Amino acid sequence: MWIPVQINEQSAEPLYHQIKVQLRALIVSGQLAEGTLLPSIREFSQQVKCSVITIRRVYQDLENEGLLRTRQGTGTFVAKVGEQERDRHRLDSVVKALEEAVDAGRRVQCDEEELRRLFEQVVKERFSAEQKSHSPPE
Amino acid sequence: MTDTAVRLSGVKLKRPHFQLGPIDLEVPRGCVTAIVGPNGSGKSTTFRMILDVTKPDEGEIELLGERVEPGSSSDTALRQRIGYLQEESLSHERGFRASEKAGFVSQWYSGWDVNRYQELLRIFEIDPSMKLGKMSKGMRRKFDLAVVLAHNPELLILDEPSSGLDPLAWKQMIELLHRYMDDGDRTILLSTHIIEEVKRLADYIVFLVQGRVLGVYEKDELLSSWLGYFFSEQELAARADIRIEAMPGKQSLERMTGMVKITTDKAVEAEEWLRQHGITAAGKQALELDDILELLVDRQRLLTRHS
Repeated sequence: MWIPVQINEQSAEPLYHQIKVQLRALIVSGQLAEGTLLPSIREFSQQVKCSVITIRRVYQDLENEGLLRTRQGTGTFVAKVGEQERDRHRLDSVVKALEEAVDAGRRVQCDEEELRRLFEQVVKERFSAEQKSHSPPE
Repeated sequence: MTDTAVRLSGVKLKRPHFQLGPIDLEVPRGCVTAIVGPNGSGKSTTFRMILDVTKPDEGEIELLGERVEPGSSSDTALRQRIGYLQEESLSHERGFRASEKAGFVSQWYSGWDVNRYQELLRIFEIDPSMKLGKMSKGMRRKFDLAVVLAHNPELLILDEPSSGLDPLAWKQMIELLHRYMDDGDRTILLSTHIIEEVKRLADYIVFLVQGRVLGVYEKDELLSSWLGYFFSEQELAARADIRIEAMPGKQSLERMTGMVKITTDKAVEAEEWLRQHGITAAGKQALELDDILELLVDRQRLLTRHS
């Protein structure tokens, strides 16, 4: 099974943290359903091209959070995610992406006002594009 | 069962033109450990000492939980559990056919799996009736690797396994070694010059330079803790209150036109420090392993010069 996790090598954020945040988002958003068997530690580390130590740490952390379950000899599964849990982590990856966008803006000396305006503009553009593509042809 | 597959404690070897060690090293079981270092840094010698081919002058070596002592190379029970691929193919074997060599080696290993051997020949597209001396360098390497893997050893020691392999054969080898590791209790210790090989295979990296271990690192931690930051001279000039040299983990500072590049080995602390001081980097760059090795070698040179 292939897990859609993307690594940003340029980031100062440790690799294991990047993978954990993304895997958690996939679980709490329901994209990885309860009972899904995850790849073995070795298999997953090959997909992401990282070491088994990193993946072992991610699995352990998420198990401690109650999002994963490991059955000896069978593998690691997605556990049942409570409503509360879902709400708490649903927006994690969105916040992360916004933080990166703000950092990118500051690198080119954007001020607060300019960033807000840009954000409004992008939101408007994306949503209106969606509406257009969903509306029936005339 | 220990969690260490190979342990070297205070191992030293003295030769007229070369001194190795003292080396202290633990190779964890169930993981891939890559020894990286320039030519002549002592990688092959270290392997030969682990396998009791060369005797160290001082120190102790433990292999799969057993102490390596003079004469223990005749310990066939221990040999069964190890696969060793040497750096150079043996030249006196040139006249043998592949099948003859495999027949000879198989006598020594009770665990020799003929089906696995055949499968490896098929994957590598090796004709067993061929004379070893007639094989291309890459073909010979693949054959030697097949022979080393056929008795299902629990520890693989590979001295520059990919030398002579073309990109396709290299990829096959990487996949084969990944599959070998799937059975979680196996261990690989390899030496290599090829950075991509380390990236694709290793869990731990050992830097060996001029006969000394510069450090043992968890690969991902190493790669994510080193980071290059670029700052514009302008921005730094505007912030005369900050000494950018004081950035945590600073390893090097380069000046380019209009830019300053600072490399740190404490990326997380550096990031926090920059945030606290309200400095924005113009750009960031992850370091490749060879960049890190270069900086570590420089640092080592400075240290030995000062001591």
